[in-house]
Amino acid sequence: MTVFKTFLKVLNKCKAPIIMYTVFLIGFGGFNMQTTDTSTSFTASKPDILIINNDVDYGITKGLIDYIEENSNIVDIENNEDAIADALFYRDINYLIEIPSNYRNDFLNGKNPAIYVKGTGDYEAAYAEMLINRYMRVANIYNDVISNENELVNKLSDTLSHKIEVEVTSKLDTNTLSKSTFYYNFASYSLLAGAIYVICLVLSSFQQEKIRKRIIISSMNYKKHNRILLLSNGLFAIGLWLLYVILSIILLGDIMFTLTGLIYIVNSLLFTFTALTIAFFISNLVNNKDAINGVVNVVALGSSFLCGAFVPAEWLPKSVLSAARVLPSYWYINTNDIVKTLEVINLDTLKPVIINMLVLILFSTIFIILSNIVSKRKRKIA
Amino acid sequence: MFINNFKYSFLTLFRNKALIFWTFAFPIVLVTFFNLAFSDIEDSEKLSIIDIAIVDNEEFRANDVMKEAFNTLSDVNNSGQLFNTKYVSLDDAKILLDDKGIDGYLLIENNNPKIIVTTSGINQTIFKSVTDEIMETSKVIENLVIMKLEKNESTTINYEQIYHEALEKINNQVVNIVDESSTNLSYMMIEFYTLIAMTCLYGGVLGLVSINNSLANMSTKGMRVSIAPINKGKIILSSLFASYIIQLMGLLILFLYTTFIIKVDYGSNLLLIILLVLCSALAGLSLGVVIGTLIKANDNTKTGILISITMLASFLSGMMGVSMKYIIDKNMPIINKLNPASMITDGFYSLYYYDGLDRYFINIISLLVFALLMIIISYNGLRRQKYDSI
Repeated sequence: MTVFKTFLKVLNKCKAPIIMYTVFLIGFGGFNMQTTDTSTSFTASKPDILIINNDVDYGITKGLIDYIEENSNIVDIENNEDAIADALFYRDINYLIEIPSNYRNDFLNGKNPAIYVKGTGDYEAAYAEMLINRYMRVANIYNDVISNENELVNKLSDTLSHKIEVEVTSKLDTNTLSKSTFYYNFASYSLLAGAIYVICLVLSSFQQEKIRKRIIISSMNYKKHNRILLLSNGLFAIGLWLLYVILSIILLGDIMFTLTGLIYIVNSLLFTFTALTIAFFISNLVNNKDAINGVVNVVALGSSFLCGAFVPAEWLPKSVLSAARVLPSYWYINTNDIVKTLEVINLDTLKPVIINMLVLILFSTIFIILSNIVSKRKRKIA
Repeated sequence: MFINNFKYSFLTLFRNKALIFWTFAFPIVLVTFFNLAFSDIEDSEKLSIIDIAIVDNEEFRANDVMKEAFNTLSDVNNSGQLFNTKYVSLDDAKILLDDKGIDGYLLIENNNPKIIVTTSGINQTIFKSVTDEIMETSKVIENLVIMKLEKNESTTINYEQIYHEALEKINNQVVNIVDESSTNLSYMMIEFYTLIAMTCLYGGVLGLVSINNSLANMSTKGMRVSIAPINKGKIILSSLFASYIIQLMGLLILFLYTTFIIKVDYGSNLLLIILLVLCSALAGLSLGVVIGTLIKANDNTKTGILISITMLASFLSGMMGVSMKYIIDKNMPIINKLNPASMITDGFYSLYYYDGLDRYFINIISLLVFALLMIIISYNGLRRQKYDSI
């Protein structure tokens, strides 16, 4: 009990970082969870466009604007140059369309007048350009043969109204699933950082030379002492894991009670165990409290950045991902990413998940062995 | 005296391993992680060639417009290549879609074209949009032919010729779009700028430690210094100067690393960059000095407070997500006007993205005002320090 009490005492001292990691998790998890359309029918992506119209608001000009509006999200930005420049840079808008004055007249006179645009160079901007092209291309053709502007605009919208049928085969609720995956991927950072920080700090407190000497000469069997310490640390890790699971139930809701949810939970439990063994290993290597702070940040941030906890793995360079295979976080995150796309859950589709989990167990075993080797060498004190 | 104390302050700070790790090594480690994680994001947002399949049945083969259009759009030698198209059987198309080899496939059945995809997305939208456009082309040709026929009263009608004329007309249409996009649009640069901002503010810890070393109630070193019969102003100024120099050394290493290895683009005006760094480092140092002076707590608590402020400031200026800075700039600009990390980030941003220098100089002036304010506050705080004999 004495050992456990001391453990709690030290734990109480480092609650600030734990709270911080948890706040990060809730903050970023929640930030990413704004609800969007969850329907499984086809929804076309819409680029964010700002239109500055210096021309009249009727006739062909209005026709073009209506067509763009129908196929994009029109964003309202204050009409000043800096605000628009900022909006483009931060991708608040993907595309700026400026229709010059006298556009309609010039068009009707067959001059093919210019439209001024600014884009962000990404696919949304490319799509926005396709939209203008589509409308104006047909408009130019009809302009040669139809002299009445009203008829022209009507014919245009009639021609452009033909839409192909799109069938969506997947019945997955991708929205909720990607939210859950994002939450659990981010949790790998909080779990790893929290576990390493607390466990290293607690163990280093017990390993200060004077305290260690005192412990050694006490009447308590060292095996019992170590067992309690191990148990307390395990208890702490489980507590942390439980906290994050409960948080996920609050934030994500029903999905956590499905089979998919269960995989997330089991996977995170395994990862917590791996984090625990990593923490033990590091605490055996490093005893200096200042150094622990540095190690926690480098190990936790490094694992999280390189394995896709913050930036989705699909966006990481291939070389980084293949190097990340030496880190346990990669396998944990990989499982979450696989679960996101599983249509049917059976033994066959779960194969890669099971392999990932086995790899995590293998990592834990390696870290336990390494810890034992290191601690054996360090056991003697002068 | 000034030189003497400068020298020893410099050595004391430089030999503090934890301090040097956090101010020199940690930013470099972090910037490396940033680079590894973010280097592909912007490329992945560029329009790349989309993998699709077309069910190669009788009906598709009979549809000249579709066949011709997809052929052109999938041509490797065409600079406007949009698709990588596989012509397969329906069963193979289904398998390809399930294995994620393609984003979707086109099936023409009973004169009714249909696109089959697994999910909605930008690639799917473009696939759909282009197919719509091809169908429109047929419609346009149809309309042109009808109009031509209505006008044509002569009895001999050459359908073939009218059809080809119409097709030619469509293919030769060029819409006049003038692209005025800026070339410096890499928003990931903001991540690196916020990291510089974080390093500058975090450098304040050097000033904080220097102050602690000069205060009698903070350290034994401070006690010794306090009873020495020398000008306190000189002591504090020289140790802060040492902190500033160390801070600048760290920043220099970070700049060399980010410029030559990570290839961060700071713009081309070296003098303005140096001026911005000098002001930023000063602002960071003065923040550390204020915390060191005003807060009566031990070393760890003071450092903790400084780190928390730095982290919050960096967060608000976009370090954990670039859009954060924009959201605040747009909705609550006052917060970032007061936040030194945002001033620094915005200074670099204006050098990188803006043509004029107005915005840059506003940031420089804000940083100097911030630093001056912090220095005045700490001066007042330090001036009144008295210690009772206990």
